[in-house]
Amino acid sequence: MNLQVRDKEFVVLVGPSGCGKTTTLRMVAGLEEITSGEITIGDRVVNDLPPKDRDIAMVFQNYALYPHMTVYDNMAFGLKMRKFPKPEIQKRVQDAAEILGIHELLRRKPRQLSGGQRQRVAVGRAIVRHPKVFLFDEPLSNLDAKLRVQMRVELKRLHDRLETTAIYVTHDQVEAMTLGDRVVVMKDGWIQQVGEPLELYGRPANKFVAGFIGSPAMNFADVTIGEANGAMWAENPGMRIKIPAAQADQLRRYKGQAVAFGIRPEDLHVATGADAQDNVIDAVVDVVEPLGSEILLDVKVGPTVMVARVEPTVRVKVHEPMRLGLDPERFHFFDNKTEAAI
Amino acid sequence: MAGRARRITAAYLLLSPALVLMLGVLAYPVGWEVWISVTNFSSRGPGDRAFVGLLNYRAMLHDSEFWRGLVTTVAYLGVTTLAKLALGVPMALLLARPSRWRALVFLAVFLPWAFPGGITVIAWYWMLNPPLVTSYAVALGTLKHAVDVAAGGGAYAFLSVVAFNVWRGSSFTAVFLLAGLNAIPTELFEYARLESSSVWQRFREVTLPLLRPYMALAVFLSFTSAFADLANVWMLTGGRIVFPVLGTQAYWLGIRGGQFAEAAARSLSMVPVLVVALALLFRWFDRREDTVDAAAPTASGRSLGHRAAA
Repeated sequence: MNLQVRDKEFVVLVGPSGCGKTTTLRMVAGLEEITSGEITIGDRVVNDLPPKDRDIAMVFQNYALYPHMTVYDNMAFGLKMRKFPKPEIQKRVQDAAEILGIHELLRRKPRQLSGGQRQRVAVGRAIVRHPKVFLFDEPLSNLDAKLRVQMRVELKRLHDRLETTAIYVTHDQVEAMTLGDRVVVMKDGWIQQVGEPLELYGRPANKFVAGFIGSPAMNFADVTIGEANGAMWAENPGMRIKIPAAQADQLRRYKGQAVAFGIRPEDLHVATGADAQDNVIDAVVDVVEPLGSEILLDVKVGPTVMVARVEPTVRVKVHEPMRLGLDPERFHFFDNKTEAAI
Repeated sequence: MAGRARRITAAYLLLSPALVLMLGVLAYPVGWEVWISVTNFSSRGPGDRAFVGLLNYRAMLHDSEFWRGLVTTVAYLGVTTLAKLALGVPMALLLARPSRWRALVFLAVFLPWAFPGGITVIAWYWMLNPPLVTSYAVALGTLKHAVDVAAGGGAYAFLSVVAFNVWRGSSFTAVFLLAGLNAIPTELFEYARLESSSVWQRFREVTLPLLRPYMALAVFLSFTSAFADLANVWMLTGGRIVFPVLGTQAYWLGIRGGQFAEAAARSLSMVPVLVVALALLFRWFDRREDTVDAAAPTASGRSLGHRAAA
């Protein structure tokens, strides 16, 4: 793995469990030994530096607050261990408490705090250190959904304010997309793609990234590439769609071969007369999930199950046939063998 | 209403086996012991027992043997417990460290505790008081003599019993504390590693305070087991009262001498001591969980105190 994090950048490592994102973070922290390679922070190679001297501050998933210490002592811990003068410790803790709005809590013990408050203390403990790099290991995953959204916004605001480089590990792609200046998608210890959130979303480098980023996930269908009437077509027993000219050249060499076709749920819509017949497919409604702001339709397209995200005004019935229009600008194709985007 | 009454009856019915057991094996014997300690129950006296008030206790308090026994018992509890903690904590830390030899170390640490007590007591007895005349026996005899002369009669016996108790009990303490260490989230130790590279600093600031509740329990277990430790003391001193702890005194009086009432008074004499010890230990234990009112100045508010001073 080779990754360069720029100064003041907020980089998010995201991937399914076991993909090595946490291990990567722990190697940067120095909690995990590295067998080969080099880790540098700033201009310094830190491979052999003890964690304490790496100028990093880490926030753990379950906060790792000391139950026997007050909030103040928890936040002051790192500075005390480094023998900072007391007035300096006080000032830094006060400042951090101010930023995070936990001033009232300084004399409490962690068990008297709510999950969100503990989270803040854990972040505060990192802030007081004024480190070169913040390391976050799934810091929001122990919070309930509502609080998670709120803390996510606060973390983003905090990063804008502190302008400190941060590496953030999560398995939640929404967190990754919303927080990261750049997002690193990992799988099985390998980096799949590095890029800005919308770049990953719009131009996934491979089928894994395409399926991982976005919720509901991208729809995939096995299709065969064919050529007829001077155009390229993607076909399977349930659908036949025309490949736009921009992608046709790339796909010509797959003629007669099977590839994976991908399209995101929001790029499917209820077909109207305005849709070109070449980009319309027949589907049967399987499940209707009204979410209020939108409706998710699980539909069967021949042998394939797809999800379409449609307007909340759409009225369809389960088991009834319908026609879906596809946005030809948003087609994705992936090589079946390498899974790379075509 | 009837439904509620029936539910309550059912609850008591379900609780009854446990209650009967508790009353039968705990409350009844203790109550009976308290009762006979205020009678003149004895194998030598007439068949019926008469209430004599606190006579047995008064006699006990005037008996210099009792005071000797009390002092030795408390010393025995104190010394063995401290020694077991001093050995148990490092052993637990060693065991908690992942290593290739962990299974072997675990076995070695655990062995003294897993071995039948009666056998090991005899081994220690023969080791410290060799039954055959050899140069080793002569050397140990000289040592025993020197210790007794230097520290007073019975000192060698005291030290032997302490050594045996520590040898046997520190492994239990270690395994007990290991369970405690394993129950502490690893991130708490990892965070300490991020903030300090001094092993000693981490031990003092993090490991020790986190381990405190488990240590309190280990101390109490050590207290009670040392107090109830009749067999080891009895066997290790060859059944003679060269080492007067209250347990052996009560045994001697009651089972050997048939003075049941006096023996009961003697064995109950440690109860107040243990209750106080338990109360203190639980306060110590609770310090970890103690609630700090935002307004109330407390010991842990110390770090804020100097802000006011500054």
